[in-house]
Amino acid sequence: MSDLVIDVAGVSKTYRFFRLTDVDLRLEAGQILGFVGPNGAGKTTTIRILMGMLRADRGSVRVLGHAMPKAQAIAKADIGFVSEDLRLHAAATLGWHIRLVAAIYPSWDAAYAATLLSRFNLHPEQPIKALSHGERVKAALLLVLARRPRLLLLDEPTTGLDPVARHEILGELMDVVRDERRAILFSSHNTQDVEQISDQITFIDRGRIIDASDKETFLDRWRRLQFDVPAGMSVPALPGAVSSATSGRVVVVTTKAYGPELEAAVQRAGLAVREVQRMTLEEIFVANVMSTRHEEAR
Amino acid sequence: MTRSVMWQLVLKDLYLVRWMLAGSLAAGAVAVATLPMGSVAAYVGGVSLICVLIIFNIFLVMGSVAQERKDKVLLFVLSLPISTTQYIVAKVIANATAFLTVWLALAVATVVTIDVTAIPNGLLPFWIAVLAYILGYFGVLLAVALATDSTGWQATTITIGNVSLNFLIPYLLSRPSVIAHRDSATAVWTGDILAIVAIELVIGIAALASAVYARSRTGDFV
Repeated sequence: MSDLVIDVAGVSKTYRFFRLTDVDLRLEAGQILGFVGPNGAGKTTTIRILMGMLRADRGSVRVLGHAMPKAQAIAKADIGFVSEDLRLHAAATLGWHIRLVAAIYPSWDAAYAATLLSRFNLHPEQPIKALSHGERVKAALLLVLARRPRLLLLDEPTTGLDPVARHEILGELMDVVRDERRAILFSSHNTQDVEQISDQITFIDRGRIIDASDKETFLDRWRRLQFDVPAGMSVPALPGAVSSATSGRVVVVTTKAYGPELEAAVQRAGLAVREVQRMTLEEIFVANVMSTRHEEAR
Repeated sequence: MTRSVMWQLVLKDLYLVRWMLAGSLAAGAVAVATLPMGSVAAYVGGVSLICVLIIFNIFLVMGSVAQERKDKVLLFVLSLPISTTQYIVAKVIANATAFLTVWLALAVATVVTIDVTAIPNGLLPFWIAVLAYILGYFGVLLAVALATDSTGWQATTITIGNVSLNFLIPYLLSRPSVIAHRDSATAVWTGDILAIVAIELVIGIAALASAVYARSRTGDFV
């Protein structure tokens, strides 16, 4: 039996000024998928298609084994959804929301909810309108986590949060996937958050998935190489090179295919390597997006 | 599970409008109580009763449907285990329950007040036609709020709904059947008045049914 909690194939959705094109996405139980893209890349559209709130024009969407949006009512019983722009009823209290959600989900874990209340320093009698942005996100997360969903779909939940609140929320999410039956899809344009908690990463830009792999592979295969290049000599095309910049006699090449093949190519070209730099996820993300855009522009 | 979720959503909406509902009932009761206190009081009471029902209609529908969407609370509600069709049905049930509670209570109170006081019962068909108009107006406004995100269309519906009453009341009072029986001790239900009441109710129900059907078939809900 497939252990895929998300299985999306060839999904497209067209709006007047935006198109989501041939999106493929897979997530297994026990994994955290970082879904990274610039603003307007299609992260929210994709997540809302996964939730059944939007219908794809083309392609197949299965979440927890259920076809979406047709079986959304059944699928959502095991999905927790929090998005940066999701709001609770302002006039009601957090306690009222807790009672509402607890009445709907038989899996509601009151003891865990109490733990989260204390950990997030929230009070049930607080009206939602009196909460800060960070507290509202924590309240929404509490309502989701305490019902122990198998899949969490989080659409930029850490946007606009202070570092402490982000740390608290990310810590809680890490706890969730200690249970290997659970999975998280976490969208963000903040690569620091994604790098901290994800084990799978998918980059999306302008409605297309531009790269997807596990985090370690990304970090291992992307490198920035500095060469000392004597006058009159040039750097040949290297495997996976996505960009090249020259400053005097120093040439900096960014590659997405660092490994024995590239090292052999460097040796064959007789290049003197000054430095091989590892790249952060943010640098990889930016280089990836820019190289894809350049290729498309050609 | 999903059926019980739907009922939880209905209860949620009723809970959120409980004070509005109670306030409208109280204000409407005062308006109805004013009706038998002389001709000026009857005019003030009648206008107040209409205002209470229309204001409740607008606040109820705009608050529970349009505002919920505008405030992004809809994302929270749709994250619960229901389909979009069930969400729409829950909205209709909750709004209809709230509005009909107030409408029915005030309509019954109006009928009883007219029946037991010196107000001629001949005015009953006129009042029922006016109250049926407000019920139809509620159906249309709820339909528009469910069917479109456009505040422009919602404002247009409210404007037309309110202004149309200024044409309906003189039209009803100028009907020969109303003129002939308005001072009678018994209500006389003529065909034209029954037809007007039926048209008002059919418009409201048809608008609502169309909106539920159209919205249920829409794949994009946010």
